[in-house]
Amino acid sequence: MSQFKIIFTGPVGAGKTTAIHSISDVPPVKTDAVASDMAKDRKAATTVAMDYGVMNLAEGEKIHLYGTPGQERFDFMWDILTVGGIGLILLLDNTRADPFKDMRFFLDSFSHFIADTNVAIGVTQMDLSSKPTIDDYHRQLLGMEMKPPVFAVDARVKNDMSLLVQSLIFSLDPGLEDE
Amino acid sequence: MKSKNKSPIKVALYGMDGRTYKTMVMFLQRSCKGIAFVVDEFDAEIDIIDADFVDIHKVINERRSKTPNRPIIILSLHKQSITGVVYVKKPAEAVALLAALKEASSPQFLKQIKNITHSAVSDNGVKAKPVETKPVEVKQVTKPIVTEAPKNIDTEEQKKVAKHKTAMRLNEGSFSTYIGHVEGIDFSVREQALKASFNPKDYFMGYVLSAMAVAKNKSRILQLNSSWKPLVIFPHSHEIWLDADDKQLRAFAGLKIHSQSESGMKLIPVDQNTLGVKTKMENFYDKDVFLWKLAIWTSKGRYPNYIDINRPVFLKQWPNFTRLLITPHSLRISALLIEGPRTLINIADSLKIKPQYVFIFISAAAALDLVGQAERESDEIVAPPSIKKVKSSGLLGRVLGKLRS
Repeated sequence: MSQFKIIFTGPVGAGKTTAIHSISDVPPVKTDAVASDMAKDRKAATTVAMDYGVMNLAEGEKIHLYGTPGQERFDFMWDILTVGGIGLILLLDNTRADPFKDMRFFLDSFSHFIADTNVAIGVTQMDLSSKPTIDDYHRQLLGMEMKPPVFAVDARVKNDMSLLVQSLIFSLDPGLEDE
Repeated sequence: MKSKNKSPIKVALYGMDGRTYKTMVMFLQRSCKGIAFVVDEFDAEIDIIDADFVDIHKVINERRSKTPNRPIIILSLHKQSITGVVYVKKPAEAVALLAALKEASSPQFLKQIKNITHSAVSDNGVKAKPVETKPVEVKQVTKPIVTEAPKNIDTEEQKKVAKHKTAMRLNEGSFSTYIGHVEGIDFSVREQALKASFNPKDYFMGYVLSAMAVAKNKSRILQLNSSWKPLVIFPHSHEIWLDADDKQLRAFAGLKIHSQSESGMKLIPVDQNTLGVKTKMENFYDKDVFLWKLAIWTSKGRYPNYIDINRPVFLKQWPNFTRLLITPHSLRISALLIEGPRTLINIADSLKIKPQYVFIFISAAAALDLVGQAERESDEIVAPPSIKKVKSSGLLGRVLGKLRS
């Protein structure tokens, strides 16, 4: 049986783990890895967490939900992770000093994957910081010649995450039956 | 600081990364509601320091040199015995933190701090000695990607609950009940549907749109008075303040207003400082959320008369659906329309849906200025492409079904 994935990415703290938890049928699993080469930094070892969840469909079919590890040094994993992915959910934290910089970074990093599939962007923490606005994000995206869905989301709220993923799916195929 | 002061205690946070900082802000807003809230370091009455991620000696010395009479609370996994500091063991529990805030703001404790700082500076006026503490295990964290301190967090924003409420989705079954219907139009008859337009200027919506344009143009807060309830427009923060629930708004939105004089519509400038609306933060609406609803309840399935039914329309950007009232098929309509211009009827035919679902979506999106009408000749001549079925449409449909279950 084919393995299908939805990839969740974004900076550390944007809510990837929580978002996966919101729509996963099983508690999210954290796959830990020891990075021994970090010894030269401040720690002898560190843990890299890649979040995983699953949505169980009818007849045993599954959609795997993967959250990318946030650390820059694990960028190399992103390409491997996206193989078989049906689309990308990018979560951005609106309280960060420059969320546009984050957005450009991740859209650029996943540009090939997005070109083959599609992306939907969720902006978290808008209840803590209302600026930049969703319109500001669209203005930035227009400069990149992109028109993806951009929604304000609370990663803890299933309805928010569900709508974001639905927008990704309709972007892939607007002809899908709705009701 | 007054211990018996009933106003919330202003606290500043130190030694926390962005994530912990936000968690702490939320923790204080929920568990210590009305007792303490986070401000920046200049306005704070108490400092709270996470001792597990910083050099606690250094931070305490810094704080005592800058604000010698300000109480300090330390959060740590390990017991800290520092003179003149209140310790809370992590994970911080509401009861422990409330007790610490009470202790730190008590007159006895404030007196104790004064004595400490006085004795520290009395030795020939030299700066305070480093605080004596038991060794602290300093934890280190992996540098996250693009690590940055959080921006200023607006603690008032969370009180505007209506602004951050998740979307409500209407299906075809609940549509008529919730939206209402217009007498005399049978949308199943194509000729009648094509003529089902409305003039926003005949309704409250028209006055609100006009008032918003004036407020934006003049860049000042304006109040729209009518025979109904006053509505305040905040152009800088893109907010509306209205003391009315959805049911009341829906009823008023559907009423035809025959003339400005008859309706008592009046637009007056207001002073933010004398405005009493701040006392009801829950009545703040995001401008777009408000306009979207107002347009839906005005439209009731009709399209605005300034849209030419025979010419293609295009969507400038996706609406922020998680905060809007979602009418049937609006996600599909957006996905289709964002790909290129189409006439309203072509959208309905392509998606095999009733025209009123397209009309109501267009009414709401147009109120937010998200819709444009194609003006180039080529847009009218070139027929929009038919929707291509993607290979995995079966799977996507099942995912969709799952998400909606």
